[in-house]
Amino acid sequence: MKKILYTFINIIMFGTVLRAQTTTFPRNGVQDERPNTYAFVNATIVSDANTVLEGATLVIKGSVIEAVGKNITLPAGTQVIDLKGKRIYPSLVEAYSSYGMPELKREGRSFRGDPQFESKKQGAYNWNQAVLPEVNAAAIYASNPTAADELRKAGFGAAITHVQDGIVRGTSALVALIDGRDQEALLKTNVSANYSLSKGSSTQDYPNSLMGSVALLRQTYLDADWYKKSKNHTEYNISLESFNNSQSVPQVFEVSDKLGILRANKIGKEFGVNYIIKGGGDEYQRLDEVKAAGVSLIIPLNFPTTPDVEDPFDAGVVSLSDMKHWEMAPANPAILAKAGIPFAITTSNVRSKSDFWANLRKAVEYGLDEKVALAALTSVPAQFNKVDNLVGSLKPGMLANFLITSDNLFKESNVIYENWVKGKRYVVNNMNITDMRASYDLSVAGKSGLKLNVTGKVDKPEFQIQVSDSVKVSPKVTRTGDLLTLSFKLDAKKDKGDTRISAYYDGKNIKGDGFDAAGTPVKFDAIFKEAFKEAVAKADTTKKPVPTIGKIVYPFNGYGAETKPKAETLLIKNATVWTNEKDGILKNTDVLLKDGKIAQVGKNLSATGAKVVDGTGKHLTNGIFDEHSHIALLSVNEGSQSVTAEVRMEDVVNSEDVNIYRQLAGGVTSSQLLHGSANCIGGQSAIVKLKWGEAPEVMKIQNADGYIKFALGENVKQANWGDRARIRFPQTRMGVEQIMMDAFLRAKEYDKAWAEYNKAANKATLTPPRRDLELDALSEILNKKRFITCHSYVQSEINMLLKVADSLGFKVNTFTHILEGYKVADKMKAHGASGSTFADWWAYKMEVKEAIPFNAALMTKVGINTSINSDDAEMARRLNQEAAKTVMYGGLTEEEAWKLVTLNPAKMMHLDNRLGSIKAGKDADVVLWNENPLSVYAKPEKTIIEGAVYFDIEKDKELRANIAAERNRLIQKMLNSKASGAPTARPEMRKPRLFVCNSLGGLTEEEGETRAFGTLQLQDNCDK
Amino acid sequence: MKKSALLYTLALFLGMKTTFAQNQAAATPQSKPIALTGATIHTAAGPVIENGVIVFDKGVITKVGPAGTAYDKTGTETIDVTGKHVFPGLIAPANQLGLVEIEAVRATVDQQEVGAINPHVRALIAYNTDSELIPTVRGNGVLITQVTPVGEIISGMSSIMNLDGWNWEDAVLKKDDGVHLNWVGYFKREFNFETFSSTTKKNDKKEEQIRELAQLFDDATAYAQIKNPNPINVKLEAMKGLFDGTKKLYISADYGKEIIEAVQFAKSKGVKSVVIIGGEESLLAADFLRDNNVPVIVSGTHRLPNSIDDDTDLPYKLPQLLAQKGVTVGLAYIGMHWRTRNLPFLAGTVAGHGMSKDDALKLVTINNAKILGIDKYVGSLEVGKQATLVVSQGDLLDMRSAKVEHAFIQGKKIDLDDKQKRLYKKYSEKYGTK
Repeated sequence: MKKILYTFINIIMFGTVLRAQTTTFPRNGVQDERPNTYAFVNATIVSDANTVLEGATLVIKGSVIEAVGKNITLPAGTQVIDLKGKRIYPSLVEAYSSYGMPELKREGRSFRGDPQFESKKQGAYNWNQAVLPEVNAAAIYASNPTAADELRKAGFGAAITHVQDGIVRGTSALVALIDGRDQEALLKTNVSANYSLSKGSSTQDYPNSLMGSVALLRQTYLDADWYKKSKNHTEYNISLESFNNSQSVPQVFEVSDKLGILRANKIGKEFGVNYIIKGGGDEYQRLDEVKAAGVSLIIPLNFPTTPDVEDPFDAGVVSLSDMKHWEMAPANPAILAKAGIPFAITTSNVRSKSDFWANLRKAVEYGLDEKVALAALTSVPAQFNKVDNLVGSLKPGMLANFLITSDNLFKESNVIYENWVKGKRYVVNNMNITDMRASYDLSVAGKSGLKLNVTGKVDKPEFQIQVSDSVKVSPKVTRTGDLLTLSFKLDAKKDKGDTRISAYYDGKNIKGDGFDAAGTPVKFDAIFKEAFKEAVAKADTTKKPVPTIGKIVYPFNGYGAETKPKAETLLIKNATVWTNEKDGILKNTDVLLKDGKIAQVGKNLSATGAKVVDGTGKHLTNGIFDEHSHIALLSVNEGSQSVTAEVRMEDVVNSEDVNIYRQLAGGVTSSQLLHGSANCIGGQSAIVKLKWGEAPEVMKIQNADGYIKFALGENVKQANWGDRARIRFPQTRMGVEQIMMDAFLRAKEYDKAWAEYNKAANKATLTPPRRDLELDALSEILNKKRFITCHSYVQSEINMLLKVADSLGFKVNTFTHILEGYKVADKMKAHGASGSTFADWWAYKMEVKEAIPFNAALMTKVGINTSINSDDAEMARRLNQEAAKTVMYGGLTEEEAWKLVTLNPAKMMHLDNRLGSIKAGKDADVVLWNENPLSVYAKPEKTIIEGAVYFDIEKDKELRANIAAERNRLIQKMLNSKASGAPTARPEMRKPRLFVCNSLGGLTEEEGETRAFGTLQLQDNCDK
Repeated sequence: MKKSALLYTLALFLGMKTTFAQNQAAATPQSKPIALTGATIHTAAGPVIENGVIVFDKGVITKVGPAGTAYDKTGTETIDVTGKHVFPGLIAPANQLGLVEIEAVRATVDQQEVGAINPHVRALIAYNTDSELIPTVRGNGVLITQVTPVGEIISGMSSIMNLDGWNWEDAVLKKDDGVHLNWVGYFKREFNFETFSSTTKKNDKKEEQIRELAQLFDDATAYAQIKNPNPINVKLEAMKGLFDGTKKLYISADYGKEIIEAVQFAKSKGVKSVVIIGGEESLLAADFLRDNNVPVIVSGTHRLPNSIDDDTDLPYKLPQLLAQKGVTVGLAYIGMHWRTRNLPFLAGTVAGHGMSKDDALKLVTINNAKILGIDKYVGSLEVGKQATLVVSQGDLLDMRSAKVEHAFIQGKKIDLDDKQKRLYKKYSEKYGTK
């Protein structure tokens, strides 16, 4: 009781000291300023990652460093602390934290609830609840002693913190990790401005997709710029004002993975911003691209737990890429360092702070230079955030934030003794603890000739009573300073209970009194006999070899390759060539591919240096162009509003999707990656070639015309979304017409406003019209710079859009699905629209009740440029079969049928000058088939894009064998890891996002995404 | 009276001129022997017969042989199909054709009853012979379907139907042939709203669910031993046949462990005849299936591999890999009722990935027949079997050459017209295209 009271008083007194320093506060009692000057002498001082001073002195006064170095004269009143044999490091700086921020409450977003179109945040803020530039971390910071203590124990002295919520997240603050007044802890406000693409706690519907988040961020940049230039504000917008005010500080962007880095960097480049990017720990998987991006990174040390793969069946659910990541993640920091990519390290994304140190040491073991590691935790985060004048190294004038350690910080046996923050001492482990370790002659209760051996570590001594040579007893010992409580049985059999002793250490001997089991008083005398001899540490000089790890492959899965395919000079000899030109199908013909182009088509060709491919008995065709695809996308629908022309699918291309490879194996070389059909005017397409291994930007077809998805019918009127989806306009085909009309009328007015502004003589005095990305896209359609692909089914709605287009003077380039195209083929032809349809789909919803498999043939015969598409990751790899069905249904010739999946879609996409036929000068995107490509028995043997072989049936066999071998190697490694005591996790499979349009299954991926993003509901099929 | 008669006549006249919206009538019974001559006959029983002859009468095959095979020509309608191909009618197991018209329109969907345990529910009853989908499926050579309910655990009883008939009583080939059980998943899928990703994890509730199922089968066994049960329990009544072998137990299971567990469960409960449906990961249990003589009906192989690491063409070659291991394999199109018309092309794709064309044909004919227990009547072209067969211009399994020109179900000549062909004709006439 007394002791508790004493501690209590201690706390109060300490608290008083702290308060005395906050000068603006009233004082209760007298002034209590203390000298507060300390000198730490004889230490090894690591003043920054590159500077080590042996036997040096650190002088601090109050919260600031006075001097660092040797031969320093100490002012009077300096308290000297001798740190002989110990080290001093700058305290670590947490680069990416939400320390001291309020806990985020995620309001449950109700699935199948009512839509929320506008922000619920009250006040003159942004229209969108996820755009929160006005959030000022400094203004809401409140110390959190538990979290501060945890961070201090891990070595941190300061943290850069902000509210990690929303897409625009406001500014961060630099805080010292001290207990006490927040006024003292707060070091700097407005340190950095923060961003992400996750809408966080926002309950608003928009955005409910990744590309929607990108679009919102883009629009926010434009809105802020417009706001700045506005002469007469029509609104006062605190958010936009805050946004503008926060542009001069470092800009930090959080992403979840390597592709996120490339995406954020691309957005930054559009607006002239170089983001510091907080990554997901998998940066090594796109090392070249991340390096080329030239970004600075903040990386977590979130290394995966070992999957439990003991059961061979269950191990099947763990993918090779997850296995490889398990193996390689610890090497991520070392790989980045070797590549010269600047990075800071954060504790975020790591389960516990103790895991953080284990993982940090693991990163060092995997080749991360200790100096780089230290810099990444001190000077680098300080420099990134322009606070290197305050924290991150030990220099006069900087904050007295430093660590006292027993040894090299990175050594496993190292102990952090003290963490001084702003000149305040926080003891992590007592460095002045008495060393009791020795051998003693012991007598207990009159029994002499016993021995007491105290071994172990200074701060964790181990006690043993040696009764005789063969009998050894381990007493239960509690230590409080130099006081000990012991209990033991000297004779386990005879003693009926414990002998209890209260003892003290007098600097040499241990003496005490107590009672035995019978309650008889006993004496305990341990007289020093022999000093403790520490076992000589095993030669630490032989550095453990860096563990061997697998290779980085692009993309990071079993079908990836160490080197990306390169264009070759290939001469394909003696094949049956489907030219898609006037020549038709040529037998025994040679085709030369050179520099990524088709160089020559003819008989008996030869070319020096060309690799010859025997095409005897085989068929050579163009690669398939899938007009309607949703593979290789991280998100498909921004279905929150009826018009979302501003979203761009190219922002969410997923170059790592294995379906790219699978479709290459089915002869597909190009795809239009479309937005879904959840709304009337969807998003802008990404038009790509399936360059497996390349990054999203490289997959894009350069200089292709822009396209945009429109949709009509049941999906946009939410007919199959359940009874609660009755609020969003439109709910009928009547409303769809009005949405279309209105959108283009607005676009026309917008065009006019810009035209007037642009030709105005007094431009400088005018406020420019507000740039609107949605209207920009619609204006592009009016100006023939962007082209429509419209999801459509029944004749009435097709007719409607034709009339809307005619009345407003634009064209509908393509109707996709268009299952009733056969009913209005004459009207489509008159308008000049193309039709991209399914071979035989029907009966899955009401609006396809009259779909017929003869549609493609009938449209073709009427003279419409027609194609067959997949809208399905699986069907896309059999588009040759789907095309062949038009021979069966409607009797097209084989040449006509083949053009449905090659030349015709290329025409629709305005790329037939480069793609779609085998003709000298066109892109070398070709497929070599084992037989007639329209046969159900046909298989591609080689799929070539721009002269580079992206799929080869022989190479594929090697890859399969290699996957099996790599899996086995890694499984063995995991089993060893488990055997050596590593914690394991049940195997689980992270399903790659699939946007297949399965209308039967339960919760589809897309539905899940929608549930996750917002309240909006989606139909149970994604597009069809 | 007069007026309505006039209208009726007018309607008939218009009907002739344009088309009827309804399906065509059911076929009339075979009235005289029919001989098909000159075709390549794919019997699915023995070798392919080039330039062969096949004769059938009163719905039953009477002759199959090479050119010159003698038959009584008097009164026989001989159809010259020289250069064409004859196949057994294809069989589509585990299917919802006839139960579902438009997937998204609830009123047209009759595939799932309320409740987890519904052995008594009979798909046969809801089978709609007037479905507009049936003629389109028939038109690609699929002539028999196993109409099957879907559900949670025990979804109900299937029946095997001919794709022709005025009503379900007419159409039925084998009534209430088996009970369908969806095996308790070894894994369950979870969606994480924080990370927006779905994961596949072990199903922790599995043991409890299996215990409940075990109780049901024990109760059913006990019930079956009571001569005149009072009260009558229609659920347990429906399960009786499982224990005397008159009904099959069709178990939907995909994963290797599930398959082993489910089959062992069924055997331990005295179920005489077990069939695995689905079997996406059945390769892991192939030896077990062979040793236990349990066949597999592999579901829609036009699907993606389950794992990123799988061979890209694993689903396509799965039937072949199972067959190589000695497992009896059938093939089905589960889930997509309208897509059943692509069943021949599922088989064709299997043939494109390693199986012989003849064996691939067997997957959807005689193998399915054997697995469903109807091979005595259908599934191959042999004397004594029902004349349920198709004549195609070319290879039925390859869309490049397939074109069904004649179809017979139990010797009845099938009208191959369908709604889609009528619409095609109507609009071809509108545009004057050919």
